[in-house]
Amino acid sequence: MIQSTSHDSSAHDTHHAPPAQFTVRVLRQDVPGGSSYWERHTVKRENDMNVISVLQRIAANAETADGEKTTPVAWDCNCLEEVCGACTMVVNGKVRQACSALVDKLLVDNPEEIELRPMTKFPVVRDLMVSRARLFRALQKVKAWIPVDGYYDMGSGPRVSAESQEQAYPLSQCMSCGCCLEACPQYTKIELKQEEGETAEAFQARQKEAYDRGFVGAHAISQVMLFNKHPTGAMNAGERLDALTAEGGIQACGNAQNCVAVCPKEIPLTTSIGRAGRATTVHVIKKFFDR
Amino acid sequence: MQGPRIISVEANSASFFSRNEFLIRRLHSLTGLVPVGAYMCIHLITNASTLGGAPMFQKNVDLIHSLGPALPIVEWSFIFLPLIFHAVVGVAIIRSGNPNLSSYHYVGNVRYVLQRATAWIALAFIAWHVFHMHGWFHNEWWLENVANEDLGGHRFDPKHAASTAALALEAPIRKLAYFIGVVSCVFHFANGLWTMGITWGVWTTAAAQKRANWICGAVGIVMTVVGLSALVGVAKTDVVAAQAYEDTKLQMKQEEEQRVAAENKRLSSLTAEERLAERKAREANH
Ligand code: HEM
Ligand code: SF4
Ligand code: SF4
Ligand code: FES
Repeated sequence: MIQSTSHDSSAHDTHHAPPAQFTVRVLRQDVPGGSSYWERHTVKRENDMNVISVLQRIAANAETADGEKTTPVAWDCNCLEEVCGACTMVVNGKVRQACSALVDKLLVDNPEEIELRPMTKFPVVRDLMVSRARLFRALQKVKAWIPVDGYYDMGSGPRVSAESQEQAYPLSQCMSCGCCLEACPQYTKIELKQEEGETAEAFQARQKEAYDRGFVGAHAISQVMLFNKHPTGAMNAGERLDALTAEGGIQACGNAQNCVAVCPKEIPLTTSIGRAGRATTVHVIKKFFDR
Repeated sequence: MQGPRIISVEANSASFFSRNEFLIRRLHSLTGLVPVGAYMCIHLITNASTLGGAPMFQKNVDLIHSLGPALPIVEWSFIFLPLIFHAVVGVAIIRSGNPNLSSYHYVGNVRYVLQRATAWIALAFIAWHVFHMHGWFHNEWWLENVANEDLGGHRFDPKHAASTAALALEAPIRKLAYFIGVVSCVFHFANGLWTMGITWGVWTTAAAQKRANWICGAVGIVMTVVGLSALVGVAKTDVVAAQAYEDTKLQMKQEEEQRVAAENKRLSSLTAEERLAERKAREANH
Protein backbone atom coordinates (compact mmCIF):
# COMPACT_ATOMS: atom_id res chain seq x y z
CA MET A 1 0.00 0.00 0.00
CA ILE A 2 1.31 3.37 -0.96
CA GLN A 3 0.56 6.14 1.46
CA SER A 4 0.83 9.79 0.65
CA THR A 5 2.84 11.87 3.06
CA SER A 6 0.57 13.24 5.71
CA HIS A 7 0.99 16.20 8.00
CA ASP A 8 -0.48 14.19 10.82
CA SER A 9 2.41 13.49 13.15
CA SER A 10 0.72 10.36 14.50
CA ALA A 11 0.80 8.70 11.10
CA HIS A 12 -0.44 5.10 11.00
CA ASP A 13 2.27 3.89 8.66
CA THR A 14 4.27 1.53 10.83
CA HIS A 15 7.51 2.40 9.01
CA HIS A 16 7.22 6.00 10.07
CA ALA A 17 5.62 5.58 13.45
CA PRO A 18 7.48 7.99 15.72
CA PRO A 19 9.31 6.38 18.64
CA ALA A 20 8.20 7.01 22.20
CA GLN A 21 11.58 8.38 23.08
CA PHE A 22 14.83 9.18 21.34
CA THR A 23 18.46 9.96 22.10
CA VAL A 24 20.01 13.36 21.66
CA ARG A 25 23.74 13.46 21.21
CA VAL A 26 25.09 16.88 22.12
CA LEU A 27 28.62 18.10 21.53
CA ARG A 28 29.34 20.05 24.69
CA GLN A 29 32.08 22.45 25.66
CA ASP A 30 32.41 24.03 29.09
CA VAL A 31 34.57 27.06 28.39
CA PRO A 32 35.70 29.07 25.35
CA GLY A 33 38.73 27.40 23.82
CA GLY A 34 38.21 24.31 25.96
CA SER A 35 37.93 20.77 24.71
CA SER A 36 34.60 19.36 23.63
CA TYR A 37 32.92 16.09 24.52
CA TRP A 38 29.79 14.20 23.51
CA GLU A 39 26.93 13.72 25.94
CA ARG A 40 23.83 11.61 25.41
CA HIS A 41 20.38 12.49 26.66
CA THR A 42 17.13 10.60 26.44
CA VAL A 43 14.06 12.66 25.64
CA LYS A 44 10.43 11.54 25.60
CA ARG A 45 8.76 12.40 22.32
CA GLU A 46 5.83 14.83 22.44
CA ASN A 47 3.76 16.18 19.59
CA ASP A 48 5.06 19.23 17.69
CA MET A 49 8.47 19.30 19.30
CA ASN A 50 11.27 21.33 17.81
CA VAL A 51 14.95 21.22 18.78
CA ILE A 52 14.46 24.15 21.16
CA SER A 53 11.78 22.28 23.10
CA VAL A 54 14.08 19.26 23.14
CA LEU A 55 16.78 21.44 24.70
CA GLN A 56 14.26 22.73 27.25
CA ARG A 57 13.44 19.15 28.28
CA ILE A 58 17.16 18.37 28.54
CA ALA A 59 17.69 21.44 30.74
CA ALA A 60 14.72 20.50 32.94
CA ASN A 61 15.99 16.96 33.31
CA ALA A 62 19.70 17.82 33.72
CA GLU A 63 20.57 14.13 33.62
CA THR A 64 22.43 12.19 30.98
CA ALA A 65 21.09 9.06 29.27
CA ASP A 66 23.09 7.04 31.79
CA GLY A 67 21.31 8.76 34.66
CA GLU A 68 24.24 10.90 35.74
CA LYS A 69 23.63 14.44 36.95
CA THR A 70 24.86 17.08 34.56
CA THR A 71 24.69 20.79 33.94
CA PRO A 72 21.97 22.02 31.59
CA VAL A 73 23.08 22.31 27.97
CA ALA A 74 23.47 25.98 27.04
CA TRP A 75 21.96 27.30 23.80
CA ASP A 76 20.82 30.58 22.34
CA CYS A 77 17.44 31.52 20.95
CA ASN A 78 15.15 34.46 20.69
CA CYS A 79 12.36 34.78 18.14
CA LEU A 80 11.42 31.08 17.87
CA GLU A 81 10.13 31.72 14.36
CA GLU A 82 13.26 31.67 12.21
CA VAL A 83 13.76 35.39 11.89
CA CYS A 84 16.51 36.20 14.41
CA GLY A 85 19.15 33.59 13.60
CA ALA A 86 20.27 33.23 17.22
CA CYS A 87 19.50 29.51 17.50
CA THR A 88 21.61 28.43 14.51
CA MET A 89 23.45 25.15 15.12
CA VAL A 90 24.44 21.96 13.31
CA VAL A 91 21.55 19.53 13.50
CA ASN A 92 22.24 16.03 12.16
CA GLY A 93 25.26 17.35 10.30
CA LYS A 94 23.48 20.25 8.60
CA VAL A 95 23.52 23.84 9.73
CA ARG A 96 20.04 25.23 10.43
CA GLN A 97 17.86 26.97 12.97
CA ALA A 98 16.99 24.86 16.01
CA CYS A 99 13.60 26.55 16.34
CA SER A 100 12.44 25.46 12.90
CA ALA A 101 14.00 21.98 13.11
CA LEU A 102 10.96 19.84 13.80
CA VAL A 103 11.64 16.70 15.75
CA ASP A 104 9.19 14.42 13.93
CA LYS A 105 10.81 15.29 10.63
CA LEU A 106 14.28 14.65 12.04
CA LEU A 107 13.11 11.29 13.39
CA VAL A 108 11.95 10.24 9.93
CA ASP A 109 15.60 10.40 8.81
CA ASN A 110 16.90 8.70 11.92
CA PRO A 111 14.29 7.39 14.42
CA GLU A 112 16.87 6.73 17.14
CA GLU A 113 18.94 9.80 17.49
CA ILE A 114 19.29 13.51 16.93
CA GLU A 115 22.77 14.97 16.86
CA LEU A 116 23.38 18.56 17.95
CA ARG A 117 26.65 20.42 17.48
CA PRO A 118 27.60 24.07 17.72
CA MET A 119 28.54 25.76 14.46
CA THR A 120 32.12 24.88 13.57
CA LYS A 121 33.22 28.19 12.07
CA PHE A 122 32.66 30.37 15.14
CA PRO A 123 34.28 30.31 18.57
CA VAL A 124 32.18 28.35 21.05
CA VAL A 125 31.05 30.33 24.09
CA ARG A 126 29.53 27.31 25.76
CA ASP A 127 27.91 24.11 24.49
CA LEU A 128 25.72 25.12 21.54
CA MET A 129 26.27 28.86 21.96
CA VAL A 130 28.77 30.47 19.64
CA SER A 131 30.05 34.00 19.17
CA ARG A 132 29.06 35.33 15.78
CA ALA A 133 31.10 38.50 16.36
CA ARG A 134 33.02 37.98 13.12
CA LEU A 135 29.79 37.88 11.16
CA PHE A 136 28.75 41.25 12.59
CA ARG A 137 32.24 42.68 12.19
CA ALA A 138 32.01 41.81 8.48
CA LEU A 139 28.80 43.86 8.23
CA GLN A 140 30.68 46.74 9.85
CA LYS A 141 33.61 46.30 7.51
CA VAL A 142 31.43 46.58 4.41
CA LYS A 143 29.25 49.33 5.94
CA ALA A 144 26.04 47.40 5.65
CA TRP A 145 23.78 50.35 6.42
CA ILE A 146 22.70 53.67 4.96
CA PRO A 147 24.11 56.66 6.84
CA VAL A 148 21.29 59.15 7.25
CA ASP A 149 22.13 60.44 10.72
CA GLY A 150 23.76 63.83 11.01
CA TYR A 151 23.43 67.36 12.30
CA TYR A 152 21.71 68.56 9.14
CA ASP A 153 18.51 67.65 7.40
CA MET A 154 19.28 65.54 4.36
CA GLY A 155 15.77 65.95 2.99
CA SER A 156 13.54 63.18 1.82
CA GLY A 157 15.14 60.27 0.04
CA PRO A 158 14.83 59.61 -3.66
CA ARG A 159 12.10 57.33 -4.95
CA VAL A 160 12.92 53.68 -5.42
CA SER A 161 11.47 51.93 -8.44
CA ALA A 162 9.26 48.91 -7.91
CA GLU A 163 11.72 46.79 -9.87
CA SER A 164 14.58 47.84 -7.66
CA GLN A 165 12.50 47.12 -4.57
CA GLU A 166 11.75 43.66 -5.86
CA GLN A 167 15.45 42.99 -6.25
CA ALA A 168 16.28 44.41 -2.85
CA TYR A 169 13.56 42.77 -0.77
CA PRO A 170 14.91 39.22 -0.80
CA LEU A 171 18.35 40.51 0.17
CA SER A 172 16.89 42.49 3.06
CA GLN A 173 15.60 39.29 4.65
CA CYS A 174 19.04 38.25 5.89
CA MET A 175 18.87 37.49 9.62
CA SER A 176 22.65 37.20 10.15
CA CYS A 177 22.28 33.58 11.17
CA GLY A 178 25.61 32.42 9.77
CA CYS A 179 24.38 29.32 7.90
CA CYS A 180 25.99 30.56 4.68
CA LEU A 181 29.31 30.95 6.49
CA GLU A 182 29.12 27.61 8.27
CA ALA A 183 28.60 25.77 4.96
CA CYS A 184 31.19 27.76 3.00
CA PRO A 185 34.44 25.87 2.34
CA GLN A 186 36.31 29.15 1.94
CA TYR A 187 35.15 30.52 5.32
CA THR A 188 37.53 29.02 7.84
CA LYS A 189 37.35 29.35 11.59
CA ILE A 190 39.19 32.21 13.31
CA GLU A 191 39.47 31.84 17.06
CA LEU A 192 41.95 33.85 19.08
CA LYS A 193 42.86 33.38 22.70
CA GLN A 194 43.25 36.27 25.09
CA GLU A 195 46.89 36.29 26.18
CA GLU A 196 47.92 36.43 29.79
CA GLY A 197 48.05 40.10 30.79
CA GLU A 198 46.36 41.28 27.58
CA THR A 199 43.68 43.89 28.21
CA ALA A 200 40.19 43.31 26.86
CA GLU A 201 40.67 46.28 24.50
CA ALA A 202 43.93 44.97 23.14
CA PHE A 203 42.39 41.54 22.67
CA GLN A 204 39.40 42.97 20.85
CA ALA A 205 41.60 45.05 18.57
CA ARG A 206 43.64 41.98 17.73
CA GLN A 207 40.48 40.01 17.10
CA LYS A 208 39.05 42.72 14.89
CA GLU A 209 42.17 42.74 12.76
CA ALA A 210 42.15 38.96 12.43
CA TYR A 211 38.47 39.01 11.48
CA ASP A 212 39.09 41.75 8.90
CA ARG A 213 41.78 39.67 7.25
CA GLY A 214 39.57 36.61 6.98
CA PHE A 215 36.90 36.10 4.33
CA VAL A 216 33.94 38.48 4.80
CA GLY A 217 31.46 35.83 3.72
CA ALA A 218 28.44 35.60 1.45
CA HIS A 219 26.05 37.45 3.79
CA ALA A 220 28.22 40.57 3.78
CA ILE A 221 28.73 40.48 0.01
CA SER A 222 24.99 40.27 -0.43
CA GLN A 223 24.42 43.19 1.96
CA VAL A 224 26.81 45.30 -0.11
CA MET A 225 24.66 44.61 -3.14
CA LEU A 226 21.54 45.52 -1.12
CA PHE A 227 22.83 48.87 0.09
CA ASN A 228 24.63 49.80 -3.12
CA LYS A 229 21.37 49.24 -4.99
CA HIS A 230 19.55 51.77 -2.81
CA PRO A 231 19.73 55.31 -4.23
CA THR A 232 20.83 56.80 -0.90
CA GLY A 233 23.02 53.86 -0.03
CA ALA A 234 24.70 54.21 -3.43
CA MET A 235 26.42 57.36 -2.15
CA ASN A 236 28.80 55.10 -0.25
CA ALA A 237 28.96 52.43 -2.95
CA GLY A 238 32.67 52.99 -3.56
CA GLU A 239 33.56 52.56 0.10
CA ARG A 240 31.68 49.28 0.27
CA LEU A 241 33.38 48.02 -2.88
CA ASP A 242 36.74 49.08 -1.41
CA ALA A 243 35.95 46.84 1.55
CA LEU A 244 35.01 43.99 -0.78
CA THR A 245 38.32 44.25 -2.64
CA ALA A 246 40.41 44.53 0.52
CA GLU A 247 42.02 41.47 2.06
CA GLY A 248 39.42 38.79 2.77
CA GLY A 249 37.08 40.35 0.25
CA ILE A 250 34.99 38.80 -2.48
CA GLN A 251 38.08 37.31 -4.14
CA ALA A 252 38.25 34.65 -1.42
CA CYS A 253 35.01 33.08 -2.69
CA GLY A 254 35.61 29.78 -4.49
CA ASN A 255 32.15 29.49 -6.09
CA ALA A 256 31.15 26.32 -4.28
CA GLN A 257 27.63 27.77 -3.94
CA ASN A 258 26.93 26.03 -0.64
CA CYS A 259 25.88 29.37 0.81
CA VAL A 260 22.87 29.75 -1.45
CA ALA A 261 21.92 26.10 -0.90
CA VAL A 262 21.76 26.39 2.89
CA CYS A 263 20.42 29.93 3.35
CA PRO A 264 17.13 29.48 5.25
CA LYS A 265 15.84 32.76 3.80
CA GLU A 266 16.59 31.56 0.25
CA ILE A 267 18.52 34.73 -0.47
CA PRO A 268 20.02 34.63 -3.99
CA LEU A 269 23.54 34.86 -2.56
CA THR A 270 25.33 33.63 -5.66
CA THR A 271 23.55 36.24 -7.77
CA SER A 272 24.80 38.84 -5.30
CA ILE A 273 28.28 37.33 -5.55
CA GLY A 274 28.15 37.54 -9.36
CA ARG A 275 26.89 41.13 -9.25
CA ALA A 276 29.52 42.05 -6.69
CA GLY A 277 32.15 40.36 -8.88
CA ARG A 278 31.14 42.62 -11.74
CA ALA A 279 30.88 45.76 -9.58
CA THR A 280 34.27 45.24 -7.95
CA THR A 281 35.98 44.60 -11.30
CA VAL A 282 34.57 47.82 -12.76
CA HIS A 283 35.33 49.69 -9.54
CA VAL A 284 38.97 48.59 -9.44
CA ILE A 285 39.58 49.40 -13.11
CA LYS A 286 37.92 52.80 -12.75
CA LYS A 287 39.95 53.56 -9.66
CA PHE A 288 43.17 52.63 -11.44
CA PHE A 289 42.52 54.93 -14.39
CA ASP A 290 41.02 57.77 -12.32
CA ARG A 291 44.07 57.97 -10.12
CA MET B 1 27.31 63.80 -4.38
CA GLN B 2 29.06 62.19 -1.43
CA GLY B 3 27.36 60.97 1.69
CA PRO B 4 29.05 61.28 5.05
CA ARG B 5 31.97 58.90 5.46
CA ILE B 6 31.60 56.20 7.99
CA ILE B 7 34.41 54.30 9.65
CA SER B 8 37.24 53.80 7.22
CA VAL B 9 38.91 50.52 6.43
CA GLU B 10 42.15 50.75 8.32
CA ALA B 11 45.32 50.13 6.43
CA ASN B 12 47.37 47.48 8.10
CA SER B 13 50.90 46.34 7.60
CA ALA B 14 50.01 43.20 5.69
CA SER B 15 52.17 41.13 3.36
CA PHE B 16 52.41 41.80 -0.37
CA PHE B 17 50.13 38.86 -1.07
CA SER B 18 47.41 39.97 1.29
CA ARG B 19 47.56 43.61 0.21
CA ASN B 20 47.12 42.58 -3.41
CA GLU B 21 44.84 39.61 -2.85
CA PHE B 22 42.11 40.92 -5.13
CA LEU B 23 44.47 41.68 -8.01
CA ILE B 24 46.28 38.36 -7.67
CA ARG B 25 43.05 36.39 -7.60
CA ARG B 26 41.75 38.21 -10.66
CA LEU B 27 45.04 37.56 -12.49
CA HIS B 28 44.83 33.91 -11.47
CA SER B 29 41.35 33.73 -12.91
CA LEU B 30 42.38 35.53 -16.09
CA THR B 31 45.48 33.41 -16.71
CA GLY B 32 43.26 30.33 -16.43
CA LEU B 33 41.47 31.49 -19.60
CA VAL B 34 44.20 33.42 -21.41
CA PRO B 35 46.82 32.40 -22.09
CA VAL B 36 46.72 29.02 -20.35
CA GLY B 37 43.21 27.86 -21.30
CA ALA B 38 43.36 29.28 -24.81
CA TYR B 39 46.75 27.66 -25.33
CA MET B 40 45.43 24.32 -24.10
CA CYS B 41 42.62 24.42 -26.66
CA ILE B 42 44.99 25.27 -29.53
CA HIS B 43 47.37 22.57 -28.34
CA LEU B 44 44.64 19.92 -28.22
CA ILE B 45 43.35 20.92 -31.66
CA THR B 46 46.87 20.73 -33.13
CA ASN B 47 47.35 17.31 -31.59
CA ALA B 48 44.02 16.10 -32.94
CA SER B 49 45.45 16.66 -36.41
CA THR B 50 47.41 13.42 -35.94
CA LEU B 51 44.09 11.91 -37.02
CA GLY B 52 44.72 13.48 -40.43
CA GLY B 53 47.94 11.51 -40.85
CA ALA B 54 51.65 12.18 -40.46
CA PRO B 55 51.88 14.86 -43.23
CA MET B 56 49.10 16.97 -41.77
CA PHE B 57 50.48 16.81 -38.24
CA GLN B 58 53.99 17.57 -39.47
CA LYS B 59 52.72 20.63 -41.35
CA ASN B 60 51.05 21.99 -38.20
CA VAL B 61 54.11 21.34 -36.08
CA ASP B 62 56.35 22.98 -38.68
CA LEU B 63 54.10 26.03 -38.57
CA ILE B 64 54.63 26.35 -34.80
CA HIS B 65 58.35 25.70 -35.11
CA SER B 66 58.71 28.26 -37.90
CA LEU B 67 59.09 30.71 -35.01
CA GLY B 68 62.61 29.32 -34.78
CA PRO B 69 64.77 30.90 -32.09
CA ALA B 70 61.77 33.00 -30.95
CA LEU B 71 59.91 29.83 -29.92
CA PRO B 72 61.43 29.45 -26.43
CA ILE B 73 60.71 33.12 -25.70
CA VAL B 74 57.09 32.67 -26.77
CA GLU B 75 56.84 29.38 -24.85
CA TRP B 76 58.17 30.85 -21.64
CA SER B 77 56.33 34.16 -21.69
CA PHE B 78 52.95 32.97 -22.97
CA ILE B 79 52.75 29.42 -21.69
CA PHE B 80 55.18 28.33 -18.98
CA LEU B 81 55.33 31.47 -16.82
CA PRO B 82 51.56 32.15 -16.83
CA LEU B 83 50.97 28.46 -16.10
CA ILE B 84 53.46 28.49 -13.24
CA PHE B 85 51.81 31.64 -11.87
CA HIS B 86 48.36 30.03 -12.14
CA ALA B 87 49.62 26.86 -10.51
CA VAL B 88 51.46 28.56 -7.62
CA VAL B 89 48.51 30.82 -6.79
CA GLY B 90 46.19 27.86 -7.36
CA VAL B 91 47.99 25.80 -4.73
CA ALA B 92 47.72 28.73 -2.31
CA ILE B 93 43.99 28.95 -3.05
CA ILE B 94 43.49 25.23 -2.48
CA ARG B 95 45.24 25.51 0.86
CA SER B 96 43.05 28.46 1.87
CA GLY B 97 39.89 26.37 1.70
CA ASN B 98 38.46 23.64 3.85
CA PRO B 99 36.31 21.23 1.79
CA ASN B 100 33.17 19.93 3.51
CA LEU B 101 31.74 17.58 0.92
CA SER B 102 30.96 14.93 3.53
CA SER B 103 28.42 17.25 5.18
CA TYR B 104 27.05 19.09 2.16
CA HIS B 105 26.52 16.97 -0.96
CA TYR B 106 25.45 19.76 -3.30
CA VAL B 107 26.40 19.69 -6.97
CA GLY B 108 28.21 23.01 -6.62
CA ASN B 109 30.22 21.62 -3.72
CA VAL B 110 31.14 18.49 -5.71
CA ARG B 111 32.36 20.73 -8.51
CA TYR B 112 34.32 22.87 -6.05
CA VAL B 113 36.13 19.75 -4.86
CA LEU B 114 36.59 18.41 -8.41
CA GLN B 115 38.05 21.76 -9.49
CA ARG B 116 40.70 21.32 -6.82
CA ALA B 117 41.25 17.60 -7.43
CA THR B 118 41.70 18.18 -11.17
CA ALA B 119 44.06 21.04 -10.34
CA TRP B 120 46.37 18.59 -8.55
CA ILE B 121 46.08 16.09 -11.39
CA ALA B 122 46.75 18.85 -13.93
CA LEU B 123 49.79 19.98 -11.97
CA ALA B 124 51.29 16.50 -11.82
CA PHE B 125 50.29 15.63 -15.37
CA ILE B 126 51.54 18.84 -17.00
CA ALA B 127 54.85 18.68 -15.13
CA TRP B 128 55.41 15.10 -16.29
CA HIS B 129 53.99 15.68 -19.78
CA VAL B 130 56.24 18.67 -20.49
CA PHE B 131 59.24 16.67 -19.27
CA HIS B 132 58.17 13.59 -21.23
CA MET B 133 57.70 15.35 -24.56
CA HIS B 134 59.64 18.58 -24.34
CA GLY B 135 62.28 17.96 -21.66
CA TRP B 136 61.63 21.26 -19.79
CA PHE B 137 64.89 22.91 -20.89
CA HIS B 138 66.73 22.61 -24.16
CA ASN B 139 70.27 23.08 -22.98
CA GLU B 140 72.80 20.48 -24.01
CA TRP B 141 73.95 19.31 -20.59
CA TRP B 142 70.36 18.97 -19.37
CA LEU B 143 69.23 17.00 -22.44
CA GLU B 144 72.18 14.64 -22.13
CA ASN B 145 72.07 14.01 -18.38
CA VAL B 146 68.49 14.55 -17.24
CA ALA B 147 65.92 14.73 -20.01
CA ASN B 148 67.34 11.65 -21.73
CA GLU B 149 66.01 8.33 -22.91
CA ASP B 150 66.71 6.55 -19.63
CA LEU B 151 64.53 8.96 -17.67
CA GLY B 152 61.95 9.17 -20.45
CA GLY B 153 62.32 12.88 -21.12
CA HIS B 154 62.35 14.96 -24.31
CA ARG B 155 60.75 12.17 -26.37
CA PHE B 156 59.20 14.47 -28.98
CA ASP B 157 61.20 15.55 -32.00
CA PRO B 158 59.44 18.32 -33.93
CA LYS B 159 61.15 17.17 -37.13
CA HIS B 160 59.63 13.70 -36.71
CA ALA B 161 56.37 14.83 -35.16
CA ALA B 162 53.97 11.95 -35.77
CA SER B 163 56.45 9.09 -35.38
CA THR B 164 58.05 10.33 -32.14
CA ALA B 165 54.63 11.22 -30.63
CA ALA B 166 53.34 7.76 -31.49
CA LEU B 167 56.44 6.08 -30.07
CA ALA B 168 56.29 8.16 -26.88
CA LEU B 169 52.70 7.06 -26.33
CA GLU B 170 53.12 3.46 -27.42
CA ALA B 171 52.87 1.97 -23.92
CA PRO B 172 49.23 1.51 -22.80
CA ILE B 173 50.10 2.89 -19.35
CA ARG B 174 51.20 6.16 -20.98
CA LYS B 175 48.00 6.31 -23.01
CA LEU B 176 46.06 5.83 -19.78
CA ALA B 177 48.03 8.60 -18.07
CA TYR B 178 47.34 10.93 -20.99
CA PHE B 179 43.66 9.99 -20.95
CA ILE B 180 43.36 10.90 -17.26
CA GLY B 181 45.47 14.03 -17.70
CA VAL B 182 43.55 15.35 -20.69
CA VAL B 183 40.13 14.67 -19.21
CA SER B 184 41.16 16.33 -15.92
CA CYS B 185 42.62 19.40 -17.61
CA VAL B 186 39.56 19.80 -19.81
CA PHE B 187 37.18 19.45 -16.85
CA HIS B 188 39.25 21.97 -14.91
CA PHE B 189 39.14 24.36 -17.85
CA ALA B 190 35.42 24.00 -18.61
CA ASN B 191 34.33 24.18 -14.96
CA GLY B 192 36.78 27.04 -14.46
CA LEU B 193 35.18 28.86 -17.35
CA TRP B 194 31.87 28.66 -15.55
CA THR B 195 33.18 29.85 -12.17
CA MET B 196 35.10 32.54 -13.98
CA GLY B 197 31.85 33.93 -15.36
CA ILE B 198 30.61 34.33 -11.78
CA THR B 199 33.94 35.68 -10.53
CA TRP B 200 33.91 38.44 -13.15
CA GLY B 201 30.15 38.91 -13.01
CA VAL B 202 29.36 37.82 -16.56
CA TRP B 203 26.51 35.51 -15.49
CA THR B 204 24.87 36.62 -12.27
CA THR B 205 21.32 35.29 -11.88
CA ALA B 206 20.61 31.63 -11.18
CA ALA B 207 18.94 31.29 -14.61
CA ALA B 208 21.90 32.86 -16.38
CA GLN B 209 24.29 30.62 -14.49
CA LYS B 210 22.27 27.61 -15.57
CA ARG B 211 22.40 28.69 -19.22
CA ALA B 212 26.12 29.35 -18.96
CA ASN B 213 26.50 25.91 -17.47
CA TRP B 214 25.19 24.39 -20.71
CA ILE B 215 27.63 26.42 -22.75
CA CYS B 216 30.62 25.56 -20.57
CA GLY B 217 29.51 21.93 -20.53
CA ALA B 218 29.40 21.94 -24.33
CA VAL B 219 32.89 23.48 -24.47
CA GLY B 220 34.05 20.74 -22.11
CA ILE B 221 32.53 17.92 -24.15
CA VAL B 222 33.88 19.27 -27.45
CA MET B 223 37.37 19.74 -26.00
CA THR B 224 37.28 16.26 -24.46
CA VAL B 225 36.47 14.75 -27.84
CA VAL B 226 39.15 16.87 -29.52
CA GLY B 227 41.70 16.03 -26.84
CA LEU B 228 41.03 12.31 -26.89
CA SER B 229 40.99 12.13 -30.68
CA ALA B 230 44.71 12.93 -30.54
CA LEU B 231 45.17 9.71 -28.57
CA VAL B 232 43.26 7.83 -31.26
CA GLY B 233 45.41 9.62 -33.85
CA VAL B 234 48.72 8.47 -32.35
CA ALA B 235 47.34 4.98 -31.78
CA LYS B 236 46.50 4.75 -35.49
CA THR B 237 49.85 6.15 -36.60
CA ASP B 238 52.08 3.66 -38.42
CA VAL B 239 55.43 4.61 -36.90
CA VAL B 240 57.59 3.16 -39.69
CA ALA B 241 55.59 4.76 -42.48
CA ALA B 242 55.41 8.07 -40.63
CA GLN B 243 59.14 8.06 -40.07
CA ALA B 244 59.79 7.25 -43.71
CA TYR B 245 57.62 10.18 -44.73
CA GLU B 246 59.31 12.53 -42.25
CA ASP B 247 62.79 11.44 -43.35
CA THR B 248 61.95 11.92 -47.02
CA LYS B 249 60.50 15.32 -46.26
CA LEU B 250 63.55 16.30 -44.23
CA GLN B 251 65.86 15.11 -47.00
CA MET B 252 63.92 17.03 -49.62
CA LYS B 253 64.08 20.09 -47.43
CA GLN B 254 67.83 19.69 -46.99
CA GLU B 255 68.35 19.21 -50.73
CA GLU B 256 66.25 22.28 -51.42
CA GLU B 257 68.29 24.26 -48.93
CA GLN B 258 71.53 23.06 -50.50
CA ARG B 259 70.25 23.96 -53.97
CA VAL B 260 69.27 27.45 -52.87
CA ALA B 261 72.62 27.92 -51.15
CA ALA B 262 74.53 26.81 -54.24
CA GLU B 263 72.48 29.10 -56.46
CA ASN B 264 73.06 32.05 -54.12
CA LYS B 265 76.75 31.33 -54.15
CA ARG B 266 76.83 31.19 -57.95
CA LEU B 267 74.84 34.45 -58.25
CA SER B 268 77.14 36.25 -55.85
CA SER B 269 80.16 35.28 -57.96
CA LEU B 270 78.70 36.88 -61.11
CA THR B 271 79.33 40.48 -62.12
CA ALA B 272 76.45 42.93 -62.32
CA GLU B 273 76.39 42.77 -66.18
CA GLU B 274 76.26 38.98 -66.17
CA ARG B 275 73.38 39.00 -63.71
CA LEU B 276 71.49 41.53 -65.84
CA ALA B 277 72.05 39.41 -68.95
CA GLU B 278 70.80 36.34 -67.14
CA ARG B 279 67.65 38.08 -66.01
CA LYS B 280 66.94 39.35 -69.56
CA ALA B 281 67.40 35.84 -70.92
CA ARG B 282 64.96 34.50 -68.31
CA GLU B 283 62.34 37.14 -69.15
CA ALA B 284 62.70 36.41 -72.87
CA ASN B 285 62.11 32.77 -72.12
CA HIS B 286 58.73 33.46 -70.46
C1 HEM C 1 45.71 22.96 -18.15
C2 HEM C 1 46.01 23.80 -17.28
C3 HEM C 1 45.03 24.68 -16.57
C4 HEM C 1 43.99 25.40 -17.10
C5 HEM C 1 43.57 25.48 -18.53
C6 HEM C 1 43.36 26.10 -16.00
C7 HEM C 1 42.26 26.92 -16.14
C8 HEM C 1 41.55 27.47 -15.10
C9 HEM C 1 40.41 28.33 -15.21
C10 HEM C 1 39.79 28.86 -16.49
C11 HEM C 1 39.99 28.62 -13.95
C12 HEM C 1 38.81 29.48 -13.55
C13 HEM C 1 39.19 30.72 -12.83
C14 HEM C 1 38.06 31.31 -12.00
O1 HEM C 1 37.22 30.59 -11.47
O2 HEM C 1 38.02 32.52 -11.85
C15 HEM C 1 40.84 27.92 -13.05
C16 HEM C 1 40.68 27.92 -11.69
C17 HEM C 1 41.51 27.29 -10.83
N1 HEM C 1 42.72 26.68 -11.15
FE1 HEM C 1 43.37 26.24 -12.97
N2 HEM C 1 44.00 25.78 -14.85
C18 HEM C 1 45.03 24.92 -15.15
C19 HEM C 1 45.94 24.37 -14.30
C20 HEM C 1 45.90 24.52 -12.94
C21 HEM C 1 46.86 24.02 -12.03
C22 HEM C 1 48.12 23.24 -12.41
C23 HEM C 1 46.45 24.39 -10.77
C24 HEM C 1 47.09 24.18 -9.43
C25 HEM C 1 47.57 23.10 -8.98
C26 HEM C 1 45.21 25.10 -10.90
C27 HEM C 1 44.46 25.58 -9.85
C28 HEM C 1 43.27 26.23 -9.96
C29 HEM C 1 42.37 26.55 -8.88
C30 HEM C 1 42.58 26.24 -7.41
C31 HEM C 1 41.27 27.20 -9.43
C32 HEM C 1 40.05 27.70 -8.67
C33 HEM C 1 40.14 29.17 -8.44
C34 HEM C 1 38.92 29.72 -7.78
O3 HEM C 1 37.96 28.99 -7.56
O4 HEM C 1 38.92 30.90 -7.49
N3 HEM C 1 44.91 25.18 -12.22
N4 HEM C 1 41.80 27.24 -13.76
S1 SF4 D 1 29.87 30.55 -3.37
FE1 SF4 D 1 31.56 31.54 -2.30
S2 SF4 D 1 30.65 32.35 -0.46
FE2 SF4 D 1 29.22 30.84 -1.26
S3 SF4 D 1 29.75 28.95 -0.22
FE3 SF4 D 1 30.89 29.02 -2.11
S4 SF4 D 1 32.86 29.87 -1.60
FE4 SF4 D 1 31.46 30.35 0.07
S1 SF4 E 1 22.49 35.22 3.96
FE1 SF4 E 1 21.06 33.63 4.61
S2 SF4 E 1 22.34 32.09 5.56
FE2 SF4 E 1 23.57 33.92 5.41
S3 SF4 E 1 23.36 34.97 7.34
FE3 SF4 E 1 21.80 35.81 5.98
S4 SF4 E 1 19.97 34.58 6.31
FE4 SF4 E 1 21.68 33.47 7.19
S1 FES F 1 15.18 31.55 17.67
FE1 FES F 1 15.24 33.08 16.12
S2 FES F 1 15.77 31.92 14.41
FE2 FES F 1 15.53 30.37 15.88
